[in-house]
Amino acid sequence: MVASFDTHLFWEALTSDPYWKGALLALGLATVSLATAVVIGFLLALGRGSRLRTVRGLVFFYNWLFRATPTLLQLIFVWYALPQVWPVFAGNWFTPFEAAFVTLSLNEAAYMSEIIRAGLLSVDPGQELAGRALGMTRRQILRRVIVPQAIRIVIPPTGNEFITLLKLTSLASVISLHELLTASQELAAVGFRYPESYLAALVYYLGIVSVLMVLQDRLERRYTWSSARRRRVAAPAVPVVAHDAR
Amino acid sequence: MTEAILRADSLHKRYGELEVLRGVTFEVGRGEVKVIIGPSGSGKSTLLRCLALLEEPDAGDVMLGGARPGRAEVGMVFQRFNLFQNMTALANVMVGLTDVRRLSKREAREQALELLERVGLKDKTEQYPEELSGGQQQRVAIARALVMKPKVMLFDEPTSALDVELVREVLDVMEGLARDGMTMVVVSHELRFAHHVASSILMMDQGVIVEEAPPGQFFSAPAHERTRRFLALVE
Ligand SMILES: Nc1ncnc2c1ncn2[C@@H]1O[C@H](COP(=O)(O)OP(=O)(O)OP(=O)(O)O)[C@@H](O)[C@H]1O
Ligand SMILES: [Mg+2]
Repeated sequence: MVASFDTHLFWEALTSDPYWKGALLALGLATVSLATAVVIGFLLALGRGSRLRTVRGLVFFYNWLFRATPTLLQLIFVWYALPQVWPVFAGNWFTPFEAAFVTLSLNEAAYMSEIIRAGLLSVDPGQELAGRALGMTRRQILRRVIVPQAIRIVIPPTGNEFITLLKLTSLASVISLHELLTASQELAAVGFRYPESYLAALVYYLGIVSVLMVLQDRLERRYTWSSARRRRVAAPAVPVVAHDAR
Repeated sequence: MTEAILRADSLHKRYGELEVLRGVTFEVGRGEVKVIIGPSGSGKSTLLRCLALLEEPDAGDVMLGGARPGRAEVGMVFQRFNLFQNMTALANVMVGLTDVRRLSKREAREQALELLERVGLKDKTEQYPEELSGGQQQRVAIARALVMKPKVMLFDEPTSALDVELVREVLDVMEGLARDGMTMVVVSHELRFAHHVASSILMMDQGVIVEEAPPGQFFSAPAHERTRRFLALVE
């Protein structure tokens, strides 16, 4: 047993307001950022397949911009520099949460666009051909046939992205967002009880990710179209998406 | 010869350097069955895709009863079935009716069930494509095209992706269709089927139709050396 681990203090930290509020904040931030990133990423993915060169160029530029720079630097830029060049962001509404939300969703959109594009491309072109032979419009084919099938492919890497985002929310401690890391740092600073303070934060992350994994498994079953649905589903071939450290 | 219903007028199509269709003119009369044979790469699939408006020809017209074919007026059945993987057999047959023809769910369901019964799959309506044999999938695909009430049905090697013992069930459905007077264009190397069902057989090679003749004449006395050599290979 470790010489000095105060179980009581650990438990107190775990149930304290700053911790569970911090956890909620992290969870909420990751969720809304991912949701927004999926929407933007979907549009970017469609844009990359556009017939117009300019559109393809813009998408390339976007992805390059967000993938080639550190997320932490982007966050600091959005929080400190953006309000100086763009007065709209100098308003009171622009809190650390909004700054983190803007940064993370724009950043994540670059990654999601690659994942979604790979998902869309993995759907057999014969599916679209059959839709056109039936007289369906491009939109109908996307909505009814291609997107549902792409979702199945996209779920596992998107789950990974969610975990990445959840961890990235801790970056927002540098712009004084009161998320989990800030909560544990503050507690640690007060009593110098590092093990209890930080372990409590770790437990929250582990808890959230575990719940997510269960949800992901359910979602995958929902998007599996065979009697295998009720059995354990084998993961389909997931397109490899370059996953760089952020 | 009956009045032409589907006409292709000197179709040209190229992919980059490759000229795949080099002036294909042909027509099908109402209720006729035309079978197209020819070596791989001769442009058979490309021709069918042009007829189904899945491909825009570089030159030439496709006319259905004197006008441009409308949505799903020319039905298409593919070699690899191409059933929508995320839909049950029933949903596959319904989707064209609900989304393209704008029928109510109830009406679409009724008509779809009728068609599935006609291809002998009444008890497979809730199955997903992955759970069906190739022959069953192809019959669902035929039902999916038929339910749109096409004026012409195109089949692109509908049995060549099937195990031998499953070929028959698909050909039976197609023979039934022909008997009911459906106008059909079939790319197939099932020569017995062609002999049986075809009004005439067309030989395609290098982007043109080399010859066309009724089955009896086509098989017993092909006019062209190219056809003779090809038939020798297929048989
Ligand atoms: N979308 C395309 N892009 C480029 N080339 C194509 C395309 N579709 C077909 N081709 C080429 O056109 C030629 C004719 O193809 P097509 O599929 O029409 O032949 P086919 O007679 O159906 O052959 P098979 O018996 O093998 O099915 C082939 O050389 C093929 O590689
Ligand atoms: Mg072909």
